[in-house]
Amino acid sequence: MRILATYNIKGGVGKTAAAVNLAYLAARRGERTLLWDLDPQAAATYYFRVEPKVVGGGQRLLKGGKKGSALDDVIKGTDFPGLDLVPADFSFRNLDLMLEEAKGSTKQLRKLLRPLEDDYDVVFLDCPPSISLVSESAFRASDALLVPVIPTTLSARTLEQLLDFLASQERLATLKVLPFFSMVDRRKRLHLESMAELPIRWPQFLRTSIPYASDVERMGVHRMPLPAYAPLSPAAVAYQSLWGEVRASLPK
Amino acid sequence: MEYLIPDGLSAEALEGELRAHLSCRAESAGDSEIGYYDTFDWALYAAGGFLSQSSETLRWTSRKDASAYAQPLEAQPGLARDLPSGPVRDQLPPEAAIRRLLPMMRIQTTARLLRVLDENEKTVVRVLVSSHSFEDPTSGRSGDLAARLRVQGVRGYDDDRELLVALVESKLGLVKAETPLLCEALRRVGRVPGDYSSKLDLKLEGAQRADAVTKQILATLLETLEANIQGTIAGWDTEFLHDLRVATRRTRSALSQIKPVFPEEILARFKEEFAWVQQATGQVRDLDVYLLAFDDYQASLPAELRPKLEPLREFLLAHYDQEQARLAQALQSERFRVLLGAWRDFLQTPVPSTSIVPGAMQPIKAVADVRIRRMAKRVRREGRAIRDDSHPEELHELRKSCKKLRYLMEFFRSLYPGGAIKPLIKQLKVLLDQLGDYQDLAVQAHHLEDVAERMHAEGRAAPATLLAMGALVGGLLQRQQAARDGFSEVFAAFDDPQQWAQYKALFWTSEVHQTGT
Repeated sequence: MRILATYNIKGGVGKTAAAVNLAYLAARRGERTLLWDLDPQAAATYYFRVEPKVVGGGQRLLKGGKKGSALDDVIKGTDFPGLDLVPADFSFRNLDLMLEEAKGSTKQLRKLLRPLEDDYDVVFLDCPPSISLVSESAFRASDALLVPVIPTTLSARTLEQLLDFLASQERLATLKVLPFFSMVDRRKRLHLESMAELPIRWPQFLRTSIPYASDVERMGVHRMPLPAYAPLSPAAVAYQSLWGEVRASLPK
Repeated sequence: MEYLIPDGLSAEALEGELRAHLSCRAESAGDSEIGYYDTFDWALYAAGGFLSQSSETLRWTSRKDASAYAQPLEAQPGLARDLPSGPVRDQLPPEAAIRRLLPMMRIQTTARLLRVLDENEKTVVRVLVSSHSFEDPTSGRSGDLAARLRVQGVRGYDDDRELLVALVESKLGLVKAETPLLCEALRRVGRVPGDYSSKLDLKLEGAQRADAVTKQILATLLETLEANIQGTIAGWDTEFLHDLRVATRRTRSALSQIKPVFPEEILARFKEEFAWVQQATGQVRDLDVYLLAFDDYQASLPAELRPKLEPLREFLLAHYDQEQARLAQALQSERFRVLLGAWRDFLQTPVPSTSIVPGAMQPIKAVADVRIRRMAKRVRREGRAIRDDSHPEELHELRKSCKKLRYLMEFFRSLYPGGAIKPLIKQLKVLLDQLGDYQDLAVQAHHLEDVAERMHAEGRAAPATLLAMGALVGGLLQRQQAARDGFSEVFAAFDDPQQWAQYKALFWTSEVHQTGT
């Protein structure tokens, strides 16, 4: 089981779209895939038409019932074979506080996922923005971090903040970080310039970039992953290529 | 959960019923054609699964829990051991390795998927409505099968699934499909999985007339023999010929050992003809044995000699086609046809109401007791006479007697308490294996010497190959000697007083009848 978190300190950068579309593409390739919507905004949950409701909320998840059964009880099948979802819940907005109370707070997500080791090949964690105990806990659970970056100066700053934070944490120093350009508008000079400069500074940047496209925005109208309704759109093709690159950069 | 759709109900009408109660979206789930494969003796079914192939994917589906494995395979499967490695291949039982995966059935399916939606238009249950037709590759027969409805739950939506199940069962009154599609299709052509086995499994009545029961035994053997003719001629795999030869050998053994139940003048001709069958099929079997053992042969040699043995494999393969053609010719000959026809006639003719043959009208149990007693005593006598310097011929004779005893016990197994006769047969097999190793290894060694001479004469063996074959012969003879050295210990286990008491308890119960020699 490989665990990937989509994350950026900044919101609105195409993080959830990446998690939803990559999870869909993984499942379509035959990988048993789970997407955990950790963001109380519940966008991923909405895209899959699932009710944003976890019985007992985050509290019950963390407390657990029988050992390891907590997540098992809240997983929902999506409309797509091989792709399951842990929906978000409004109580997740307090997940930080709940984690704070729990013992070994940053190990909690990993602990919850461990019993599912044999059930899934890939798990995506769609994290809320900002650095918090939730994101820290997700980092500790993950094999790699997928970081969508809008090619602007401000976004570059948040990437730097993230990398600094990770470097300052002994346990996270070796975490694989895979940044990629998101919401790219090739008509904007700033975007083109940033895309030329940033990978020189951070060679770990993936080569694929996701274009800014109204097709992606329409995921909220169709309420399904982009490749499910517009498989040949440039953005869907880009996600496909991104997934290929992510797969290739993960240890076998 | 799968249900049968009754004949009168069309798929459209069913869909209408569901739509009346639920919000559904229908889509075509496409057509598929699935080919099912198994070995001739249903080794895969016996191992608990179905092997199927559709659109270049090979699948193993567990019969118990329907768990499935898949791996890509473009071509039709051939011998089980030749399948590329993968999760499906890993599921196949080892005994299937040398057998060909034969097409057992083809099933065409047309399906529609109904997605049951909640108020968010999220799929909460899937319903697959499918119609099926079959085509039996063996008989060429085809037809339609009952349509089916399958309920596929979506994780986390158990309530919706239960609601649908209640609708399907109570409102629509559909009954669960208990048989897998494959079995349903097989049933339509009068077959069941596992309907062929080379193992003798006779259910005999001890009080019945000996001649009638003997015909029953022989008729079973004839069925096995006939079942293997097509595969032997086509050369599908080596086990067809093997099973055919075992059935022939058992037939010959029964003819000579279960006596006197038929007039000798009738039997003489059949004995002669079955001896011919055995002889006409021998060459190919010998080649099969060498080729099947070839990898082991190579592995038994030091690494640097192994490649030198390849010309031997080529030589054996070069002769194979010719011998196989001869064998096919024999099995398609008038002589063979006449033999089987006459033999079937004889076996199907009811036994005469009275017979002058002394054993014919005796209960079979009495005849069986006597024959097994005599043969057991003979094995013991011949075995006890073997000394360290005995001639190999004496061990050969003992092996023949052992085999006769084993066959007798196997024919009549059902006349004795299963728990008691089984260990005796098992123990006898150990003795037979020991004697078989001793003799077969010697035959192989000497035959390889002959082959070496022929290869040399035909200019098809470099000195290095001949030397490698020499090393192989040496190794075989060494193993043969080991089998010889182990004989007395294995025989002692047979000649053990306790073991013998078991024989006495089983076969010395009836009065001794004077039933021939």
